[in-house]
Amino acid sequence: MTDIQTLHILNKSPEHPRANRCMEMMAAGDGLLLTGSGVLLLATGQLPDASKVFALAPDVDARGLGHIAGNAISVDFTEMVTLTLEAQKVISW
Amino acid sequence: MSTLIMIDQPPYGAWTGREALDMAFSLAAFDQPASLLFTGAGVNWLRQSQDAGGIGQKTVEKNLSAAPIFGIEAILADRASCKSYGLEESSLIDGVTLVNNDAALLSEYDHTAFAG
Amino acid sequence: MSETASETFTLVITGAPYSSQAPETALGFAQAAVNAGHRIDRVFLYGDGVHLASALCAPPSDETHWPEEWSRFLADHSISGVACIASALRRGLVDETEQKRYELPAANLRHPFEIAGLGEWVEGRIKSTRTLYFHAGD
Repeated sequence: MTDIQTLHILNKSPEHPRANRCMEMMAAGDGLLLTGSGVLLLATGQLPDASKVFALAPDVDARGLGHIAGNAISVDFTEMVTLTLEAQKVISW
Repeated sequence: MSTLIMIDQPPYGAWTGREALDMAFSLAAFDQPASLLFTGAGVNWLRQSQDAGGIGQKTVEKNLSAAPIFGIEAILADRASCKSYGLEESSLIDGVTLVNNDAALLSEYDHTAFAG
Repeated sequence: MSETASETFTLVITGAPYSSQAPETALGFAQAAVNAGHRIDRVFLYGDGVHLASALCAPPSDETHWPEEWSRFLADHSISGVACIASALRRGLVDETEQKRYELPAANLRHPFEIAGLGEWVEGRIKSTRTLYFHAGD
């Protein structure tokens, strides 16, 4: 699917301190998967440009954000499973 | 297979930090290399002279100073977070190494986890 | 890594039902993993996540019953579900053994969950291809 060093799974809203920590500690080549409240990052338009960004579709749809996915790639749970296995490492923030 | 346990929640007001410490101690008990990284409000765990008797809790400072005895490899603290909470190196408990929260630090560990 | 190779997962849930989305996200992931031919080695409940193993949750009938959904999933796929003993005892979740040991008026651990120590997490973390965490989102 893609070549990812570390997959960062972020389920915190953009103003949560841990969301900032996650952004600080991501490397260029890493992937960001937004789940739960994490998908609200899509609404801010502030996606990190150095990384591949994925967003869990049911969470995006639940929050009415389907139309502004921007450069984020929408994934379902099956694709999420694949992402976690393809990345070298996974960090759940 | 080294693990970094991250603590970003403050002491006493939240339980997650204690539960993170238990995770690190468990890894060490099973001979799995583990280090602790305190960051954000979590660095307040590392301040000297804590006395939690008045709030009905056990002071965490003692648990932490026991960490090396239980086989925890390193107690790390984010330099910038310490600065924002007014923590000088001299006001930290013994055995803390200051580091920078960045991708290079994460790359040294196979596994990174939070307690909650 | 081939998409069809069978891999193993340890899932750690630290967010409670009805105060976080963690049990739902974890279940969606677990179902997809099983459907893709992978194995869930174990599910470990930690911190507030232990509330998922309560036999006494009674949500309104038009809301998803997360403890029931999880129990059924674990039983259907013979997956071990373990609540951390230290987290569970502090939060009032006990099996019959702990009920007797502490002389408590009732036991409330939902079948097929078990209570055990953090060693279960350590073992899962060593044995599984991936260990993933499902925290509260706040």
